[in-house]
Amino acid sequence: MMSSRSKRITLKEAAEIVRDGTLLTFSGFTIWRRPCALVFELIRQKRRNLHLVEVNGGPHSEFLIGAGCVDVWESCWIGHELYGKFGANLSRKVKNKEIICEDYSHAEMGFRFLAAASGMPFLPTQTSLGTDIHNPEYDMLGRAGLRDGKNPRIARKKYETMKDPFFGDGEQVLVPAARVEVAVLSVQQVGEEGTVRIGGQFFTDPEICRAADTTIVVAEEIVPEETLRREPRLNDIPGFQVDHIVECAYGAHPTGMFGHYDVDGDFIRNFYMQTRTQEGFDEFAREWIFGLDHDAYLSKLGVGRLLNLQANRALNFSTRVKRGHK
Amino acid sequence: MERHAYAKAGEYTLADLMTVAAGREVMDNEVVFAGTGMPMIAIMLAQKTHAPNLKLIFEAGTFDGRSSFTPTSVGDPRCEGGASRASGLCEAFAIAQRGYVDLGFLGGSEVDEYGNVNTTVIGDYLNPDLRLTGSGGNPDINSFARRTVFIMVHEARRFTRNVSYITSPGWRVKKWPSGEWVHRRELYGRAFRGGPSAVISTAGVFRFDDVTGRMYLDSYHPGKTPEEIRGLCQFDLDVSRTSGETAPPTYEELHIIHEVLDREEIFLPKPKRP
Repeated sequence: MMSSRSKRITLKEAAEIVRDGTLLTFSGFTIWRRPCALVFELIRQKRRNLHLVEVNGGPHSEFLIGAGCVDVWESCWIGHELYGKFGANLSRKVKNKEIICEDYSHAEMGFRFLAAASGMPFLPTQTSLGTDIHNPEYDMLGRAGLRDGKNPRIARKKYETMKDPFFGDGEQVLVPAARVEVAVLSVQQVGEEGTVRIGGQFFTDPEICRAADTTIVVAEEIVPEETLRREPRLNDIPGFQVDHIVECAYGAHPTGMFGHYDVDGDFIRNFYMQTRTQEGFDEFAREWIFGLDHDAYLSKLGVGRLLNLQANRALNFSTRVKRGHK
Repeated sequence: MERHAYAKAGEYTLADLMTVAAGREVMDNEVVFAGTGMPMIAIMLAQKTHAPNLKLIFEAGTFDGRSSFTPTSVGDPRCEGGASRASGLCEAFAIAQRGYVDLGFLGGSEVDEYGNVNTTVIGDYLNPDLRLTGSGGNPDINSFARRTVFIMVHEARRFTRNVSYITSPGWRVKKWPSGEWVHRRELYGRAFRGGPSAVISTAGVFRFDDVTGRMYLDSYHPGKTPEEIRGLCQFDLDVSRTSGETAPPTYEELHIIHEVLDREEIFLPKPKRP
């Protein structure tokens, strides 16, 4: 991990670090703090054969999957919360067998990243016993012949079980570490040396950052390190765990950013409705991804829309955005 | 109107009735794990009525929130108002695995008579007709909490003999690698804390027999009959222990739902005035 030279790069350069076939993960939680600006750039650069390993999915996964960038999706959930019932693009591609989908539970995915983040090969848990998540027939990477050891990042088994040898606590499930190559984080602030300060819940960001070999932080603002180092307890990730930093305002849109902007529910709902078919996705991509860069994307959204999403600085969410029927 | 009096038919919606029924599952001082949606309103309703000391945990990492603003999902900044701590998911699940959680509210697409729930696929997992969201934290909360309550749409295809995929464990579950059916207690051993305690559907409230783990009808919603509900289950539903009609919302509960918790009508549109 580098320290001396500047970590600052552009969005385009950040996307180039994620090469075809990368095992990749992202910050955030469902429709919050997803690095969508970088995801759109990956799609523009026509990245292929990505292997996403995610604590949970969301609109950003659906963008990449719809665009045909993803061969394997390993996670537990994909959808748009209130704004779309499930991941229509993943659903279509699973049905057409155009993608490999490996299911773990949410806690298992969290613990897999915690294991990788701690340098452990696996962690034991007693979650989800008795479910089809542990059905040996449903090891989809195994069925695809990807657990042959050729890729050292892919575990040779989906999971293992053993009896607790210490306290007699019974059956344990051992879940393999999520040894991803690259993590891309979308956060509020990063210092020039990479110190990360997240606003609100940090979800699994500290774990995914340490789990990855290379970490790219896309921040709403890059700030002088000393401003963050005055109160280190407020920081979430030390700078030496971060390789590259990108400054990108509204970099998570249409997902939300605590303290900066709310979820753009209309955008996500329209995306979900429009991309039930591949033709619909291609049309969405022509309109919102190809032929634009991030600045042009924001201009297309327009000042009025962005102001409407802007968070109240005392409450950390927008008081103007329409959420329900009223 | 006496605020503790029950509202009359037409003064509340089916969603109001289900929310109130869900809220009544919460006991005071319990630690309650909430997912996104109607359960958030149900839990906050309980907090404002009979369970003022409940502790609310959001899956994304917020503990004991006392927000005046209803979140639309568990990652929402609105979860964090007045909270004791905001952190992350590994901590939330570690706390749950440690045994702090009394009650969890969950959803499902299909359920069988032992409370096994599917939110993953419809059809054969290897050749699915429809891929759904996947598990999320459903099996985790259901494995770790003492009691879980499922909120579901009631259709015969959803109350099924065999779910397409067991996403979340009920009272009789599969022991791998053989797939032999065993009682949950046997599989979980010392980690056993409980399991599904109720299903609140659009037709009624269902519970599970302590010994057999089989579902029975506890109460039917106003306008439904036990026989009609039996016809809406592919398995042989026990209706012999029915306690009667599901109690409707009170005027106070309706006021809290619509004028305090969900003024914006995010989850619960107001009943249409006649």
